[in-house]
Amino acid sequence: MEAVTQYLLTGLSVGSVYAMVGLGFYVMWTAAKAVNFNFGDIFMLGAVLTVVAMDQGIPLLPAAVLAVVVAAIAAAAIERGFVRPFNQEANAIGWMLTTIAVGTMIESATTALFGSNPRGLPSPLAESPIRLGGAGIYPQELLLPVALVLVAVGLELFYRRTMLGRAMRAVAWNRTAAGLVGIDADRITLIAFGLAGGLGAMAGVLIGPVVQASSTMGGVIGLKGFMVAIIAGIANARGVVIAGVLYGVSEKFIEGYLSTAARDAIGFTLMVLLLLLFPQGLFGRKEIKKV
Amino acid sequence: MTAQARSTRPLATLALGLLAGLALGPAPAAAQRAESCIGISMEVTGPLANQGLMLRIAIETALDRINGAGGVLGRPLRLVIYDDVGEPARAVDNARRIGERDNCVVMFGGARTPNAIALREPLAEMGLPWIGAISAGTGVIEHPNGRNEWMFRVSMKDRWVTEYLVQQAKARSQNGKIAFVYEGTAWGQGALPDIEAAARRNGVALAGRETFNIGDQDMSAQMIRLRDAGVDTVVLWAVDRESANMLRSMDRIGWKPKIVSAWGLTTAFARAVGPLADGIMVAGTFNWNGPLSPEAQAALDAMKAKFPDRIRTTADLEQPSAMANAWDAIFILAEALKIAGAYDRTKLRDAMFRVNYTGIVADYRPAFIRGNQERMDAVLPEAYKLQAFHNGMLMPIEATPYGMRN
Repeated sequence: MEAVTQYLLTGLSVGSVYAMVGLGFYVMWTAAKAVNFNFGDIFMLGAVLTVVAMDQGIPLLPAAVLAVVVAAIAAAAIERGFVRPFNQEANAIGWMLTTIAVGTMIESATTALFGSNPRGLPSPLAESPIRLGGAGIYPQELLLPVALVLVAVGLELFYRRTMLGRAMRAVAWNRTAAGLVGIDADRITLIAFGLAGGLGAMAGVLIGPVVQASSTMGGVIGLKGFMVAIIAGIANARGVVIAGVLYGVSEKFIEGYLSTAARDAIGFTLMVLLLLLFPQGLFGRKEIKKV
Repeated sequence: MTAQARSTRPLATLALGLLAGLALGPAPAAAQRAESCIGISMEVTGPLANQGLMLRIAIETALDRINGAGGVLGRPLRLVIYDDVGEPARAVDNARRIGERDNCVVMFGGARTPNAIALREPLAEMGLPWIGAISAGTGVIEHPNGRNEWMFRVSMKDRWVTEYLVQQAKARSQNGKIAFVYEGTAWGQGALPDIEAAARRNGVALAGRETFNIGDQDMSAQMIRLRDAGVDTVVLWAVDRESANMLRSMDRIGWKPKIVSAWGLTTAFARAVGPLADGIMVAGTFNWNGPLSPEAQAALDAMKAKFPDRIRTTADLEQPSAMANAWDAIFILAEALKIAGAYDRTKLRDAMFRVNYTGIVADYRPAFIRGNQERMDAVLPEAYKLQAFHNGMLMPIEATPYGMRN
C-alpha cells in the first residue's frame, strides 16, 4: 500500500509537469498551428534563470517571477524570429527545423554560461518531505498539481471571458476570418507563444527545487509534454491535463511493477498504439473542412 | 647457372623485397620525429564540460611548472586542445588531427570511457601513445585482443574499483544486504558484470540490482524495492544529477542506507543536495582536503595562482582525484620523454615502461609493465581511498565526524 501511495503521489507531481508543458503546446498549436519543438528549453530556462537571479541576491519569489517573464519573452521572440517567417504558407514545415535549431542553441549557450553542472534551486518547500507511512512527498511537489488546476481553470476563463482570449480562439478557428474582423493574428500568435512560454517556465520553476536546475533538464520533459499533448488531442486543453497526469502516474506504476529500464519504451509504445486506435488523440475531435 | 636464371634473379629479389615490404606494411608514423606537443581530446563543451575544465586546469598548471624549468629535452611542451563534446566519433576525428596533422608526440584523453575505447584502433594504427587520467573503463586498457601497446592510464580501473567498493560495502554493512544501483549507460551497465563477479569473489549475495536512465527525476520505485528487501548498504555507480535525484527519492520514503559510490560523484553533487550528501562515501585516488605533501601543496598553490577566478578553495576542485591523476600523468610523461631522449613516439612508448616516479597520488615503481596490459594502469588498488561528503566538501573519511576509517 505504501508503494501504491508513493507511485500515486510522485506520479501526480511528475504528471502535472507533463500536463503543464503539454498545455504550452496546446496554446501554441491553437494559435499558430505550429509549435516550438524545443519547448523543453523554455521549461529549463524557468529553473535556470531563477537560480541566476538568486545568485544576484534576488529572493526566491521575485526571482521566479522574473525568470518566468524573461522565459515568456524568449518564447515570444522565438515565434517572431524562428516560427513566423517559416510558417507563412499552407503546410509549411520549416518552423520544425528552426525551432529545433534555436533550442539547441539555447541549450548550448546555457551550458556555456551557466555551466554543465546541475545546481540546486533552494526552496523552503523542498527541504523535508511530508511522510505518509513509508511514502512521502515534498510540499514543493504538491504545488505542481495545485498550479496545474489553477492554470487549467485560468486558461479556460481566459479563453472564454477575456477579449484577448476570445481573439485567440478566433485566430485558432479561422486565421483569415479573424483578420477580416480586425484581429491582428500575428500579434495574437506572438502573445500565445509568450503565454505558452510562461506556462512552461512556471513548470520548470516549480519542479526545479526538487530535481535541480541544469541546461539539459528540459529535453525529456519537453518530449513527454509533446507526447501527452498528442495522446490527448493537441487542441483539447482538458484532455491534455488528464493525459498528462495519467501518463505521469502510469509511468510510476510501470517503474514499480514492470520495469524501470523499459519505462520509456513501454510508454512510447503505448502512445503509438493509442494513436493507431485514436488518430485524433483520446480527446480530440475530427476536423471537418468544408470544400 | 643459365643466362635466363641470372636475368630473373634480380626480378625475384625485387619481388621478394616487395612481398616483404607488403608483409611489414608501411613504416609507422611513430618512426617519424614528432612535435613537442600534447594533443588532448576532451569535453570542452557539453554536459561533461566541468570535467574537461578540471583536467585542463591540472594539466596546464603542471605544464607551466615543467616549462618554467626549461621544458623537456630543451623544448617547452605545448598543449593542443580539441573538444569532443563527449562523443566517440569526435574523439576519433580529434585523434587523427593530433596524430597526423599536429604530429604530437602523445595524446591525452578526456572523461568518457566510450571515447577512449573508440580510440583503440586509431591509436595503434598511428602509433600514437595515449594517456588517460579519468576514463576508468576496464576495456580502455585491457583490450580484447590482449595487445594494448599504446594506451596508458594514470587513473582508476573499473574492475579494480568494483572489487574495492564491494569489499568496502561488505565491511560497512551491518546485515550483509548490499545492493548495486547503476545508471543505464555504457559506463553503468559495463560495471554490472564486474560488480557481480566481485560480489561472488567476496562471498556477497547482492540483495538488489536497480538501474535508472539518464535524466530520470524520480527513483522512488527502485528505492522502495531496495528498502523492502532490507538493503542497508548501496554500491552506487552514477553521476551527479541522477544521484541527487536518487537521494531525494530516498528522502521521500524515509530511507537512508549507507552509500559507497564510484567516483562519478563530485562536489557539485554535494552542493546540489546539501546535507543529504553528508556521509556518502566515494572511492578516489586523492583528496586535497587531507594532509598534503609539499609537492601536492605546491600543485594546489600553483593551480590557485594560475586560475584565481576558478580555483579559490579546495571545494572548487570538482574532480579532486582526476586532477591529481592528471598532475602525475604529466610528470610521468616528462620522465618518459627524458628517458626516450627524443620526441619520438615509439621511443616514448618504450620509455613509459622504464619510468619510476614518486607522484602525489602514488609511488609509481614502475609506472607500467611491458607485456602485461593489466599493468598499463599506473594507479594500483592500494592507492584507492574512501572519501566522504561533509558540509559540501569531499573529505578524507577520517576527517569527517562520521566515525569512519579507510
